[in-house]
Amino acid sequence: MLKVLIVDDSLIIRKKITSLLEKLGHEVVFSAKNGQEAIDAYNEMKPDLVTMDITMPDMDGITAVKHIIKDNVDAKIIMVTSHGQEDMVIKSIQAGAVGYMLKPITEDKLASAIGEVFIQYAVDEEDEDLDILDDEI
Amino acid sequence: MILDALILQSKLFLSEDMGIEIHDITIDELNPDKLILKDYTSMIGTGGNLNSMIIISYDSNLLNQLVTLFMDGEEVAEEELAEVIDSVSGETINTIIGLALPTFPNRGKGVTITPPITINDASNIKKYKNSKIVSANITTQFGELSISAVGSEDSIK
Repeated sequence: MLKVLIVDDSLIIRKKITSLLEKLGHEVVFSAKNGQEAIDAYNEMKPDLVTMDITMPDMDGITAVKHIIKDNVDAKIIMVTSHGQEDMVIKSIQAGAVGYMLKPITEDKLASAIGEVFIQYAVDEEDEDLDILDDEI
Repeated sequence: MILDALILQSKLFLSEDMGIEIHDITIDELNPDKLILKDYTSMIGTGGNLNSMIIISYDSNLLNQLVTLFMDGEEVAEEELAEVIDSVSGETINTIIGLALPTFPNRGKGVTITPPITINDASNIKKYKNSKIVSANITTQFGELSISAVGSEDSIK
């Protein structure tokens, strides 16, 4: 079970992602409405995963990713976006996000996006373990 | 061209994502001076390479149906209902524009979009000076939706 922080200015999307995450057996620790709330919530709760909208009032998702990654290099942030915002997705990945999911959000898409992030993370950790083993040998 | 993209994505969103039957689509050919708004309206501004306002306006029955579909069986608390309705209205236009952007001129590159704004106390939107309004009306089994763009003649041709 992952502890997840949801960031989206749309109430209906926060509700939808919460419902799907709970169906998938994860716990939503906080739902933030903008980037600044997300940074504050991340620093307080240190969730395992963040789902982050891109276009939000006050502070957008890309700026929030930069702030979170600056102090938490291992933060795992999945961008939630519409088709047509590919440029924004690229900027988000450059800022430190580890994946993205296109709207409309479905249980399959969410499970797949989470799976990809954590499989990649497990592979990276395995590679590090093998490197350590090589060094020891 | 922009209106064509918006109509196509509205149609796909309503029929394929939401499972709502579409009965008719009409395009307003008269270059109207003002848009007559329906019961609920949301708009998104585009900037960068395309300066325009894109407006979606719904009959309440259709928007209520979208709320039911978005909520997927989950009850809405009375105190949350107004915010949920605004949120569904905004998310619908957000999704339609997101899907339409790649078919805008230059594949929508360099076009930025604002978060959606909901306006429920206005009955119409008037064009200003040389701006142009393009608009289409989509009739569904649950009522009508209009999708419109307002901008300079060049930007929304």
